Amino acid sequence: MKTKTPASTTGDRFGPCEDAVRTIAEIDVDGVLQETAATAFTGNRAAFLRRSLAAAGAGALFAAADADAVTATTKNDVAILRFDLALEYLQAGLYTEAERLGALTSKTLAWARVVGAHERAHVHAIKDLLGRKTVPSPGFNYGRVTSDEQAFIKTAVAFEDLTAALLKWQAPRLDSRSILAAVVTLHSVETRHAAWIRHIVGLKPATTAFDKPASQQKMAQLIASTHFVASKPKMSNRGQPRLTG
Amino acid sequence: MGMSCGGSDDLLFDPAREPVEAGTSRRQLVGRGVIAGAALAAGITLLGPRTRSASAAPSQAQDQKIFNFALLLEYLQAAFYGEAVSQGRLRGEVGEFAEIVAEHEREHVRYLKEALGPRARKRPSFNFGDATQDQGKFLAAAVLLENTGVAAYNGQAANLTKKALVGAAEIVSVEGRHAAWISDLAGQDPAPRAADPGATASEVVSILDKTGYLKVA
Repeated sequence: MKTKTPASTTGDRFGPCEDAVRTIAEIDVDGVLQETAATAFTGNRAAFLRRSLAAAGAGALFAAADADAVTATTKNDVAILRFDLALEYLQAGLYTEAERLGALTSKTLAWARVVGAHERAHVHAIKDLLGRKTVPSPGFNYGRVTSDEQAFIKTAVAFEDLTAALLKWQAPRLDSRSILAAVVTLHSVETRHAAWIRHIVGLKPATTAFDKPASQQKMAQLIASTHFVASKPKMSNRGQPRLTG
Repeated sequence: MGMSCGGSDDLLFDPAREPVEAGTSRRQLVGRGVIAGAALAAGITLLGPRTRSASAAPSQAQDQKIFNFALLLEYLQAAFYGEAVSQGRLRGEVGEFAEIVAEHEREHVRYLKEALGPRARKRPSFNFGDATQDQGKFLAAAVLLENTGVAAYNGQAANLTKKALVGAAEIVSVEGRHAAWISDLAGQDPAPRAADPGATASEVVSILDKTGYLKVA
């Protein structure tokens, strides 16, 4: 590795920043971090974040088409994102209903309010990533889970922990680096949700130094065990999934 | 917090007019970092299309550079919490947080050092002042360090090979949990945004610089 040579002719002009500059030089000894730092997808990522943030704030619906939007192009990425979308529909619906019913404790309701807004934003973000390959929401029936404190907490902890684990399983399986760059920004938010709800109910927010991944099959098992999915999505629109497995 | 070096010249620097290039002077880099860091701290994403820099396709060599960068962050976090624990001045659950998280960060250091082998950077010296003893300063610093860790890993994820990404994802997941936990303890929003934007390495470096924790050789 080559060491970056200090620009001595300008050194005296740094003034109070000299220390900072020297520290940067020390950290970034060969100047490569600037090259590797940003992903090549900042424009797309910015658009993605803008939309998710706006959705979080206002619940606004976005047009699927955006000039610099990333959309999934491989069959593999579409399959992964469709799975995530179904999961986000389920979570958004769960927390939104809990908020509407207002039967939980105030701390849990506060969590449901914030996290519900996030999951709704994730729904919009993933729909954008899927573009025309998006799928509609199935119908859900959450039973007493959205109004029973203990049942809600148990469900929320299970879903948040497992969603974070699922995104870790999916991340290295994505073909598109643009999609990956977007999905990781959701992943860490899911880990925050998980730690937060755990903290509220007195569980350890972080139990291990490394969080292991969990497969789509594991998540599918959890979803099946809840019996939340009450009906298949309506497939009335053109451009909806063909039965190609 | 810590040393302020955001002189008017630096703040007037317009990152959009100076795309990052190999020949970029360090003065320009500092200017860009200050602005970006300040924006990041304020929760504003500064990831406009014109702040892009060239990103090479993932490779083993690039993994090593990124892991060495991550190792610096993990060294810093491990040293920070380790010192806080040995000082024994933190009260209540915050003390428990420091103990548990210190161990996690040490394990992250071990993991990255093992992955890097002989290429692993040496542990630098740190000076945390009283941030490892004063409850309020500790909380503020820990929130900043954990949020910075999340942003740093998220910013590099797409630059890693699939193999390296697996390990990095297991780490950032735990950093996200730490960030939410300590934010809750500090009375801040544990999940302030629907998406955690990634930070570039220079943004991260700028944030670390402003803490003054890294001793200049």
